[in-house]
Amino acid sequence: MSDELDLGVLAGSFAEMLGAEWPREKAIAWSQAPEGFAAPLWNQMAELGWTALTVPEDHGGLGLGTEAAAALHAALGAAAAPVPMLGTTLATTLVAAAGNDAQKADLLPRLADGSLRAAVAQPGDAVAAIAGGTANATIADMVDSPSATTLFLRASRDGASCWLVLPAEAPGVSVADTALTDATRTLGTVTLDGVAVDDSAVLVPEDAAAIDDHLLRTAAIAIAADAIGGGEAALAGTIDYLKVREQFGRVIGSFQALKHRIADHQAALVAARGLVEHAASLPAGHPHALLDALSAKQHVTRTVAEIARDCIQLHGGVGFTAEFFPHIYLKRGKLNEALWGTRNRLLDRIADMLEAA
Amino acid sequence: MTRTFDIISKVGDESAFRREIRDWLAATVPADWRRTWQAVRDSDLKAIVVDWLEERRKVGLATPHWPREWGGPGIPFAYQIIVYEEFARADAPELDMYTISLFHTPATLFEHGTQEQKDRYLGGITHGTDIWCQGFSEPGAGSDLAALRTSARREGDHYVVNGQKIWSSAAMHADYCLLLARTDPNGPRKHDGISYFIMDMKSPGVEVRPIRQITGEAEFAEIFLDDVKIPAANLIGAEGNGWNIAQSTLSTERGLLIFGAVERLAHSFELDRRAATDGWMRDVQLRREYAAFHAELQSLRLMIRQLLIELEANPDKASPTLPTYIKLIWGPFLQRYTEFLLRAEGIDALKWQPSIPGTGHSSRLRMNDFLKSYGWTIAGGSNEIMRNIISERILGLPRG
Repeated sequence: MSDELDLGVLAGSFAEMLGAEWPREKAIAWSQAPEGFAAPLWNQMAELGWTALTVPEDHGGLGLGTEAAAALHAALGAAAAPVPMLGTTLATTLVAAAGNDAQKADLLPRLADGSLRAAVAQPGDAVAAIAGGTANATIADMVDSPSATTLFLRASRDGASCWLVLPAEAPGVSVADTALTDATRTLGTVTLDGVAVDDSAVLVPEDAAAIDDHLLRTAAIAIAADAIGGGEAALAGTIDYLKVREQFGRVIGSFQALKHRIADHQAALVAARGLVEHAASLPAGHPHALLDALSAKQHVTRTVAEIARDCIQLHGGVGFTAEFFPHIYLKRGKLNEALWGTRNRLLDRIADMLEAA
Repeated sequence: MTRTFDIISKVGDESAFRREIRDWLAATVPADWRRTWQAVRDSDLKAIVVDWLEERRKVGLATPHWPREWGGPGIPFAYQIIVYEEFARADAPELDMYTISLFHTPATLFEHGTQEQKDRYLGGITHGTDIWCQGFSEPGAGSDLAALRTSARREGDHYVVNGQKIWSSAAMHADYCLLLARTDPNGPRKHDGISYFIMDMKSPGVEVRPIRQITGEAEFAEIFLDDVKIPAANLIGAEGNGWNIAQSTLSTERGLLIFGAVERLAHSFELDRRAATDGWMRDVQLRREYAAFHAELQSLRLMIRQLLIELEANPDKASPTLPTYIKLIWGPFLQRYTEFLLRAEGIDALKWQPSIPGTGHSSRLRMNDFLKSYGWTIAGGSNEIMRNIISERILGLPRG
C-alpha cells in the first residue's frame, strides 16, 4: 500500500475534512468551553479510516507507516483538533511491536475502528508494580487519560519491565481529571488500587529498552508533526490578519518591523517541516531513525512554540483575547514541547547518540 | 610510482566515480596544505591557487559543473554533486578566488555573449591564467544595486567609464572584470540604462585598492575608474539591458557553492565535537547547545538536497523560493554556531592567527570563521533584503 501512497493527496484529504468539520470558529468556541474530546469528530475520523492508518492490514488497518502518521498529526495540529489520536498512534506501535497474537487480535482491530481510545504512558511516568496478580500505582499527568477507554501503563513484574493494558472502567482503576491550559487535549492522574491483572493484560517485550526507543521515536515524529501543522496554521492566520488590520492609515503588514519577523518565522517553518518529513521517512531500523526523530522533536516544538508566542504579539490587543485563535496554538505548542521528553532531556540523548556515532 | 586517475570516465557508475575521486584526493591533496596556504603571502597566493587548479584540470575537474559546450566535462548534475561532496569530505582547498571566473563569467558569456567573446575569454578560465572579478556594488549602491552611478559614455568605437566599485572579490588578482555601468542616465526607471561590460583590469585609469576586512585579510577591493576606455566590442548583450543580464546570471551556481559550504561545515561539526570530547563536551550546557545545532544543520542539508534534487530533475523548474529560505537560514546558523564555538573554547579561540585561504567558512580558526560568517548574511543580498523578498514576493505582504 505504501508504495502507491501519495502523501500529498493524503495530506490534502486530511486538511479538507478538518477544514469542513473543524473550522477555526469551532476551534475557538471549543477552547472556551472544552468537553474532553470532540466525539463527533472522532467518530468521523474513525469512519474515514484515519484511526486505522498505521494498524497492520491483517488486523483491520491500512498498514501505513510513520510518513502517513506524520501527515495526519500535522493536519490535526493545524486544525488544533481535540481528539486523542496520539494515543492511537502510540498504542498501535506498542501493540504491533510487543503484543502477542491474542493481544494483537484483541486490541488492534479496536484501535483501527476507533472504539478503543488509548492513553499511553510517557517515559519517566510512574511504573505500576504487578505482584500477586494485582497492580498498584499512581500515575500523574497522563495525557489523554480522561478521554481514554484503555490505558497503556508502564509496569514491572518479577523485576522485568513490561506494559500493562487496562480498561479505564476496570474495578480499582480511577482517573482524576486535571484541568489543562491546552483545551484540545486532556490530562489526568491514574490510580490503580489493587487492580486484578491477568496475563492477557500484560505486554512483555523481548527487549523493553528497544520498545521504549521505538515508541519514543513514534511519539517524537507525531508530536513534531502536530507542532509543524500548528505552527504553519498560526503563522498563516497571522499573515492574513496583518494584511487586513489597518493603523496609521495603512495595513500593518506593510511595516518592515513586522514583516521581517514574519519572514524569519516562515523560513524557520520551511526548514522545520523538512526535518519532520525526513525523520518520518526513515525506516525504523535506520541508524539515524531515533536521532533524527528526537532532533526534529526538540527543534520543531521549540521553534513552533516561539512562533506561536510571537503570533500573539503580532496580533496586538486582539491576540490577547480568547476570541482570536493564536492562544490555541501557543497552548497546544507549549504542551507539545513538554510531552514525551523536555528539550533538555532530548538534547542529552541526542548528544549521547552523536558521541556514540 | 604514482598511479594515474581517470575520474571522468567513471561517469555512469556513481560508486566507482566516487571512489576514484576519493583516491585521487587522497593522493593529491597534501595533508598539510592548510599550513602551506596559511603561510603564503598575498603576492604568492595566486600561484599556489593556480597550481591547485592545474591539478584539478589534469583530471577534468577544473570546472566540474561546466557543460561540454563551455569546454567542461559535461558530467550529469548528480556527479557534480558527488564532486562537491567529496571535496568537502576530504577538506580539499576551495577556489574562492575563482568564484566569478568559474560560475558567473561563463554563465553570462554563454547566455548573452557573442561568439567572439566566448572564444576569446573562456580558454583563459579553464587554464587558470585569467581571474575575473565583478564590478557591481558601489559605495552608494549596495542592497539597492540599481542605484549604481558609474557612467559609461559612448565615444566612437569605445566607452569611457568613470566611477567607483566596491566589494569586488579578488579584484587585486583579477585580469578582467564583469562591470555594470550606466549608459543612459535618463531611463524611466533606475533599472533601465544599465549596461554590462567586460573590462580589462590592466586598462589605464583602473586603480585597485584592497579592502582590509575585520578578519585582517583582504579578499576584496575597491576599484576606481577614471576615464577608462572599454572597446564597444566588450559590451555584453544590448546596451541598456545590463540589469536583466545581471539578474539572470546571479544564481548560476545552482546551489553547488552553498552545498559545498554546508557539507564542509557538517564535516567540521563532527571534528569540533571529537576535539572537545575531554573539553567542553563535558559541560552539560555546552553539550546541549551543541546537540541543538544538529537539527539546524540537518534541516539545512535537507533543504539544499531538496533544491539539488529539483534542479537535477528540471534545471528550469526548481523551486524559486527555496534558495531564499536557504540563504536566510544558513548565514545566521553559521554565525550562531561559530559564535558558540568562541564561547565553548574560551580564550584559545580568541588568539590571533593568520587566516587560511581556500578553507571557505570552515577554516576552524574560530574567530576568523565567526567573523567571516557575515559574508553570508551581508553579501549577495543582505538577509534584510531576503526578509523583504520572503514577506513581499512570497507571502504577499504589501510594500511599505
